[in-house]
Amino acid sequence: MRTALYTWLVMGVTVLTVGNPRAIAPLSAQTRVNPDALVLSDFNDRVKSYLALRGKVDGDAPPLQQTKDPAKIEAAQKTLAAVIRNARTGAKQGDIFAPEIEKKFRALLRPEMKGAEGAQARAEILDEKPVVELKVNAEYPSKEPLSTVPPTVLQALPPLPKDAGLEYRFVRKHMILLDTRANLIVDFLLNAIP
Amino acid sequence: MQAVRRSTRTLPLAVAALLSVTVFGAQQLTLPNQKDSIHFAVIGDSGTGGSDQVQVAQRLTAMHATFPFDIVLMMGDNLYGGNAQRDYASKFEAPYKGLLDANVKFYAALGNHDDATEVMYKPFNMNGKKYYTFKPGNASVRFFALDSNYMDKEQLAWLEKELAGSQSDWKICFFHHPLYSSGKTHGSALETRATLEPIFVKNGVNVVLTGHDHIYERIKLEQGIQHFVIGSGGSLRRGDLTRTDITVKGYDQDYVFMLAEIAGDEFYYAAVSRRGQIIDSGVFQRPQPAEASPKP
Repeated sequence: MRTALYTWLVMGVTVLTVGNPRAIAPLSAQTRVNPDALVLSDFNDRVKSYLALRGKVDGDAPPLQQTKDPAKIEAAQKTLAAVIRNARTGAKQGDIFAPEIEKKFRALLRPEMKGAEGAQARAEILDEKPVVELKVNAEYPSKEPLSTVPPTVLQALPPLPKDAGLEYRFVRKHMILLDTRANLIVDFLLNAIP
Repeated sequence: MQAVRRSTRTLPLAVAALLSVTVFGAQQLTLPNQKDSIHFAVIGDSGTGGSDQVQVAQRLTAMHATFPFDIVLMMGDNLYGGNAQRDYASKFEAPYKGLLDANVKFYAALGNHDDATEVMYKPFNMNGKKYYTFKPGNASVRFFALDSNYMDKEQLAWLEKELAGSQSDWKICFFHHPLYSSGKTHGSALETRATLEPIFVKNGVNVVLTGHDHIYERIKLEQGIQHFVIGSGGSLRRGDLTRTDITVKGYDQDYVFMLAEIAGDEFYYAAVSRRGQIIDSGVFQRPQPAEASPKP
């Protein structure tokens, strides 16, 4: 009796699973993950890592707050930059823009430079031609203008954490990740746009 | 419209004549100078710290004596070449000391030569923000300062919300990069225009003030919006303006600032050179917003 019951149970489960393709997915489908999502997730993690590092050290700099005294603004910015550099002595190109991330960013930007609208976007980016040494942890030179980043280009790129003071900027065809609070180049990506 | 001289009728004629020459230079302003209207000035690309900027500032301060404006809008490039204390001192505090001492409030937008931390400098009245809005007095006028260097989706969402929520008759946006410009060096920011113009048209923006090109230009009405390029408040590119079919009036031979007065539905303006020459002046009725899409 018990054996018959088990038999019916097994048969019932078999019927249910065979009839329902979702019941047990093949192993390859279970492990298949969107590679783009992985790359962007990696990028987000690296950015968050940088912000966490900044968060750890920014207490060593005077706070950046509204003031009538520009000396205080300058001190806050310069000190923050110094403590970040100190905490990132080993930082190098590719810490944020790792190879797969670089590839992804170029792929995201390529279509934004195509056609008539792409030409306009490119013209806005290249409207200014700043002379900037691309070096991780370097200060963005105050004598050089910043590039415009057109709204369409910003919409194509992964969003950066809100109010974190991080911005994508271009130095001619190359892209930098700029920490605007510290005026510091966090990382850079060569030949971001064709 | 009455000349500013109305205020000097009670003075002896000789003294009035002297004042006119001394204060205004070659020409007289023809702004109504009404007590209850909104008076403001506009400077762009000013922050060089050079003698040209200083002379423009002196002219602007002199004008304030008889056309008392409460506000100066800054189109960006407020400080060229640095943001140390000495830069603020020589490129803003010293040139405009007379106006600052008279409690004139400056409202700045960021240009591509500006450091982001300028938003923290209280005399720029940015309240720690790269984009913001304010309403001077009780008039139905609202200003919107934008950061045209970096128009991310947060800023665009903020702009749509603020414009849609404003009941002001006059919605005036100011920022650095011109959507329309006949300057050879930069010209119109077409991609930014494609994004911003529909938002402006949909939400009834009347006037757009910009800089970046170091010229003065009044643009023909575009989709019901009056655009100005006022980018020679301290920097000038002589010969950079090539008149195009969008130009109503252009000038690139001397430094220029603008004085403006909003009285009810009328917007009076005067573009004034460093030497006090009135380059452009006039009045327009509040433009009616163009339809965002064609009627069936």
